[in-house]
Amino acid sequence: MPLLDVKNLTMHYTTKMGDVHAVDDVSFAIEPGEAIGLVGESGCGKTSIALTLLRLLPDNAKFLGGSVLFEGVDIVRIPEEEMRKIRWRGISMIFQAAMNSLNPVYRVGDQIIEAIQTHFPIDYQAARRRVAELFDLVGLAPELMDRYPHEYSGGMKQRAVIAMALACAPKLVIADEPTTALDVIVQDRILRRIDEVRKELNMAMLYISHDIAVIAEVSQRIGVMYAGNLVEFADTVTIFKNPAHPYTIALMSAFPSIKGEKRKLQGLPGEPPDLLRPPSGCRFHPRCPYATAVCTESPPEYREIQPQHYVACWHPHLGRS
Amino acid sequence: MLISEKVKIEPLWKIRLRLAIRSLRRNWALFWESRIGPLGLGIILFFVLLMIAHPILMATVWDPRVYDPIVGFDRALVGRHPAPPSWAHPLGTDPIGRDVLSQLMWSTRSEFALGVTSALITVVIGTLIGAICAYFGGVIDTIFMRLADLVMLFPFIALLMVLRSVIHLDLWRLALVMGILSGFGGITITLKAQALTVKVKPYIEAAKVAGGSAFHIIRHHIIPNIMPLSFLYMMFNVTGAVFTEAVLSYFGLLDIRMSWGIMIHTAESAGYLGAFGQYWWLWAPPGAAITLLCFAFYLVGRGLDTVVNPRLRKR
Amino acid sequence: MLRYIGWRIAQIFVTFFLFLTMVFLIFQAMPGDYTKQFIMNPKIPPEARQALAERLGLTGSVWDQYLHYVRNVFTGNLGISFQHYPREVWDVIKERLPRTAVLFLVADLLAFALGYPLGKYIAWRRGRISDYVVTVTGVLFYTIFTPLLAIILLFVFSNVLGWFRSGGFLTPSLWLRPPVSPQTVFLLLTATICGLLGLWAGSYFLTRRIGHPRPRAWARRGLVALGLGLAGIAWGYSGIGSYAWDIVWHMFLPVLAVTLISFGGTMLLMRDSMLEVIREDYITTAKAKGLPEKVIRDKHAARTALLPTITNFTIGLGFIVSGGIVTETMFSWKGMGLTYLEAVLQQDFPLAMGCLTFTGILVLLLHLVVDVLYAFLDPRISY
Repeated sequence: MPLLDVKNLTMHYTTKMGDVHAVDDVSFAIEPGEAIGLVGESGCGKTSIALTLLRLLPDNAKFLGGSVLFEGVDIVRIPEEEMRKIRWRGISMIFQAAMNSLNPVYRVGDQIIEAIQTHFPIDYQAARRRVAELFDLVGLAPELMDRYPHEYSGGMKQRAVIAMALACAPKLVIADEPTTALDVIVQDRILRRIDEVRKELNMAMLYISHDIAVIAEVSQRIGVMYAGNLVEFADTVTIFKNPAHPYTIALMSAFPSIKGEKRKLQGLPGEPPDLLRPPSGCRFHPRCPYATAVCTESPPEYREIQPQHYVACWHPHLGRS
Repeated sequence: MLISEKVKIEPLWKIRLRLAIRSLRRNWALFWESRIGPLGLGIILFFVLLMIAHPILMATVWDPRVYDPIVGFDRALVGRHPAPPSWAHPLGTDPIGRDVLSQLMWSTRSEFALGVTSALITVVIGTLIGAICAYFGGVIDTIFMRLADLVMLFPFIALLMVLRSVIHLDLWRLALVMGILSGFGGITITLKAQALTVKVKPYIEAAKVAGGSAFHIIRHHIIPNIMPLSFLYMMFNVTGAVFTEAVLSYFGLLDIRMSWGIMIHTAESAGYLGAFGQYWWLWAPPGAAITLLCFAFYLVGRGLDTVVNPRLRKR
Repeated sequence: MLRYIGWRIAQIFVTFFLFLTMVFLIFQAMPGDYTKQFIMNPKIPPEARQALAERLGLTGSVWDQYLHYVRNVFTGNLGISFQHYPREVWDVIKERLPRTAVLFLVADLLAFALGYPLGKYIAWRRGRISDYVVTVTGVLFYTIFTPLLAIILLFVFSNVLGWFRSGGFLTPSLWLRPPVSPQTVFLLLTATICGLLGLWAGSYFLTRRIGHPRPRAWARRGLVALGLGLAGIAWGYSGIGSYAWDIVWHMFLPVLAVTLISFGGTMLLMRDSMLEVIREDYITTAKAKGLPEKVIRDKHAARTALLPTITNFTIGLGFIVSGGIVTETMFSWKGMGLTYLEAVLQQDFPLAMGCLTFTGILVLLLHLVVDVLYAFLDPRISY
């Protein structure tokens, strides 16, 4: 049984100007211990999915359909009290921009201890020992436990937030652009650490980013999102060597390869659509070089074109598998 | 096709006007959404109506000899002043025979004048000083901040007594004094803090590099960006000004002929405030009027707060 | 930190000095020559006048008087009051100050105790009907015309209900032959309140060993309740409890008036502060951690939102010294505010200047206390 099974998830934001179609009919599954990447441009719905999984959406978010089965339980429909128990213990999250994730008036160690004590009945000293272990795991000196967030550097804060996310030994960790705000060297180090930790603790991970290079490093399977839809989902090698959806193909073409032949980088003309009034039919059709009449009329079905390779397109590019 | 061929060339003033109208409409929508802003505005409108109605009434229905707020006198009720409300005098008469409603309506004009003038002066001074302190920093900043400290400690009542002995302390002069004094006080600290957040923005740096003088930057970049906040604080200053004048008039420390505070003061010095319930029309209407006007401007201020400060909005 | 405090104290000296000069000049500019006025006071025998004038520094040029005045202030001599001759100004202040202190201390604490939780609670319910109602009510209380509020309160409580018949701060008939003076009672009351405050602050420190937040909060409350109980017993057995109660009884209406107005302000400020904090990312993180709503609201949001409220409260403490002139006048509460007003109106310049001087130095020091306190509460700030 998959650890996380998302089926036809649909969620909109209600605003003064209308409904923003943030997430439409998204389905995917994560097995225990698996690392999945979710990639897409800004505003394509990746973060919204993450927030939906933890039910951290703002008041104007409308849940419109589908289900999210976590260990068999539909966590979108259970009462808030039940959800509170699952948060952090079952699913935890590493937020984007760790700078602001920590409360400035409390010590970092205490904030992690707070998470632990909420879910486990252990005393303060035992919790402190656990925090020391976690700090060791992410590469922070244990003394830093008693410092305040503003005394940490950017990389240190990110590590602290990772330690906090791992505090309750969750089964699934969602990492939302955890390294965007860091410089490349620190980024590399942290990415490696996250992957090592994941393997050590056998956790599942949902890695969200707009940077496909980063995603490729850490994910076993990748989902490509565009304008609120999941347009392709396959293992990493397939996505890179054998992309089926025109958007994925365009992404790969825009991506320089160190080993491959020298070629001209191709950008993708146009802009992502306004999710208040998404295009009819397939949302990618205004920018798609292969679009035909059917693409403008009806949204394509999300189906398995090859084993473990899902695409939502009327004319998927089928190459070698 | 070149981009420039697609765009219609319009005179600059037209573009500015269009943008201004658009932002005005958007801000109005936000203001309306705050709910309390329009409530305050409604109350202010009510007072404006009172203000306009008075000269109309005086010219048509009311006999000036009886209803004049300052020198009127109702002979018919002589010996029974202050008279309780009746058809002829909906809010009764005061101890010296003048119609209370007429006084109330007439004073509305002076309250508005005083409040708005004083607040305007305060805000203009405060904005200028705040911007200058933020931009130059250093010695200038320290001087003005310590000056603000002194101003906040200032013995206002003593100053008024001194001024009163020298000049006739009427409405406009009081507005000037209050405006100038407040202008150098606490508001400079708040506006300076806001101006500082503007000063560190990249476009200020860009303007400096492009050769903008200090005066130019302050005038064209810093001040326009703190004006929304200034306008907001103006509302709170109107509240403060009206309140202060009312308190001072109530204690008899001013030379104004007629205001809401004076009305209560007249009642008190004639000894009618001892029996509250009996002569309620002497203190309740002016007291309520002062409260309502201050209340209304404060609500408008808070409504504007949601426009200026996005974090306070509902969504 | 010490260096910062030192630097601020130096600034306070300069500001205070300028303040003194300003006060002196204003009173010099007052109508009538106060040197002559004092001398013409019939209570003073003619022979003593000249000697007295010299002693009080009323002779000589304006510059001489100024120097004399400044020197006196720095040696703690604030002069002799005209109205209350031959009492010294400092004596009068000592008598009036505790009355204002007790009144405004109690009112400010009550206002904070009511405004803080209400503001915190209502910000969490942004957009609902209760939010609008509470906000509008808060604004109404904050902007109400103080004499109107006083009149309404007096009307309701004195006239209609018949309680609190007399104004002032004590019932003369009960104080015909008291074992202690009202002054002592006031001082003891102030001491009690300050003691309880200190106990409450200290309870945070004393209970720090207790790990879990919930039992810790109860331990703190227990300590304060214990303190209150002990204080009550002490007063009851002291023999002067009934006198203290008489004063407290008279305090009821003015405290109610000040609390209502002040509470509006505190509540609004707390609400605004909370709304700013709620948007922060660490609140979302707290929710993601699975913390219960109350904990997020109280421990995370309110704690940060508290900072501006504390500043406001401490600045409001300045009123404790200068007194709400309007409130004290309306309720005939003979405190610093009323004293100052009377002094100015009756041209008792030494007393008026003394009040201002005293208030001035205390307010300046209070501002320094605020800044230091803020640095303690917000770990991001350090001097």
